[in-house]
Amino acid sequence: MRKSVVHYTLERCIRCMKCVKACPTSALSMENDRVIIDQQRCINCGRCIMSCHNRGILAQGSTLEDIQNYDYTICLVPGALISHCATLEEAEDLFHAIRMLGFNEVVDITQYTALHLKEVSLLAEENEGDPYIASFCPVIVKLIQNSHKSLLDSLLPVKCCSEIAAKDLRKKYSQYENLGIFNLCECESKLELAKYPYGNPQYEVDHALALTDIFPLIRKNMHKGRDEVSFCKEGLQVCNPHRIVRQDGFLIADGFDKVCNVLDMAEFGLLNEFKLMILYPCFNGCIGGHMLWGNSFLATNNIDALTARNTKKAADLSFDDLYTDEYGKDDDDNRSFIERTRFFKAVNEEFERLPGYDCSACGMQTCRIMAEEIVKGNRTEDDCRVMKALKENAQ
Amino acid sequence: MDSVLHKEYTVVQDDYVNAGKVSSDIKSTLSEIGVSPKVLRKIAVACYEAEINLIIHAYGGKVTVDVTDDGVIHLEFKDPGPGIPDLEKALTPGWSTASEKARGMGFGAGMGLPNIQRVSDGFHIESSQKGTTLSLEFRTAI
Repeated sequence: MRKSVVHYTLERCIRCMKCVKACPTSALSMENDRVIIDQQRCINCGRCIMSCHNRGILAQGSTLEDIQNYDYTICLVPGALISHCATLEEAEDLFHAIRMLGFNEVVDITQYTALHLKEVSLLAEENEGDPYIASFCPVIVKLIQNSHKSLLDSLLPVKCCSEIAAKDLRKKYSQYENLGIFNLCECESKLELAKYPYGNPQYEVDHALALTDIFPLIRKNMHKGRDEVSFCKEGLQVCNPHRIVRQDGFLIADGFDKVCNVLDMAEFGLLNEFKLMILYPCFNGCIGGHMLWGNSFLATNNIDALTARNTKKAADLSFDDLYTDEYGKDDDDNRSFIERTRFFKAVNEEFERLPGYDCSACGMQTCRIMAEEIVKGNRTEDDCRVMKALKENAQ
Repeated sequence: MDSVLHKEYTVVQDDYVNAGKVSSDIKSTLSEIGVSPKVLRKIAVACYEAEINLIIHAYGGKVTVDVTDDGVIHLEFKDPGPGIPDLEKALTPGWSTASEKARGMGFGAGMGLPNIQRVSDGFHIESSQKGTTLSLEFRTAI
């Protein structure tokens, strides 16, 4: 069962419906004056969070209080966060500030990101068939599972970089019985890839921290010292579509709509000359994630400055530590073809009766979704304000 | 054998900007009713090729989708002309009459009909100067 990381706060909601309208997968609806999030449909892309002007929709991670539950704690820092430092000195300052939050160690994951890229590049080289799809971003994985199922076979089953990092660190620090691995997430989609706070025991990372929660605390610790840091150039570059090391036959796209367009084209069989697709739902890649405070164009330049000197090699891990069998799992929809088609037919008939304005006054994103809800028995035609008004006028 | 889905679309000649929209809609509709991913992929490939044919070669046309409860998906692409002069040639890989404009936009590689024939479970085409009708059939597990 999937869980969405998106949280809704009733007190802050002004019922403007912006979030319901913004959702690319129609996962949000309004019922009894509150927003409901469909856990199956949500792909954690964060568009609703960006659309909300009142902070009524947020994604939250674990709190720093959880640090005290472990003997030794490590905080993973993503490349996207590092790229918002203009100089190496700033990055050293940042790492010190993060460690001062109470961690024993701060580890950047760029060497693992580089390993991920190396692995998918090798697979791509040998690819003779349809283009593969890299699995850097959990949103892409969900998007394919939800609405581009015929591409599931092309999705490379390589784990997300934070997972690869956590797996390696658990081995390296096996002397600690109670090792706590925290991942400082630069976007909401990565919050899900941890045991807490969303209860996914299959992951190696213990706690996911949301940068938006933690950044004010980091700021207070800035300019108090420096920790030595060194990044892996190729790994840091992965977080931006314009800097990632590309090879012949790579198709790289960013921005949600463009990425959906590329997935459509792949399903039509129009991209067969490519070997690998690396897709970033966020504009300008991970460094364009909205939890990051800076400008993603500046961050792109920062990557060059940070990697001009002081780089380390990609990590080296065994095959088993890199792969997962999670992605290919089928959805929870156990209905047969007959049941599905019957439902679809009923929805179609209901949809024909609805006005088709997609006004969302009923609380649903579109009339189509409303038709589904009526067939499921959750709503009635009387909940449609347009139909109700027409009925009343006729009387 | 009951009809579970019937949908019609109109495709406009030379409307390159919207090329693929009909196929996209058919793809997501069929995905929703639970057509298996492998079959869906074949339909997507065939449907896109055929839709592009209506835009490039024909004076536009109509697309009809019919699904019956035994898992048979029937697609029909019907255009009002100008017809395919030599059907045998058109079914040969690499043969194309596409305009320079179309080729410049990456269409018209001459793989359209042969590709469609390769992926579909049932393939029937009729053509005269008055128009072409392409009927395709696919089967999905029920």
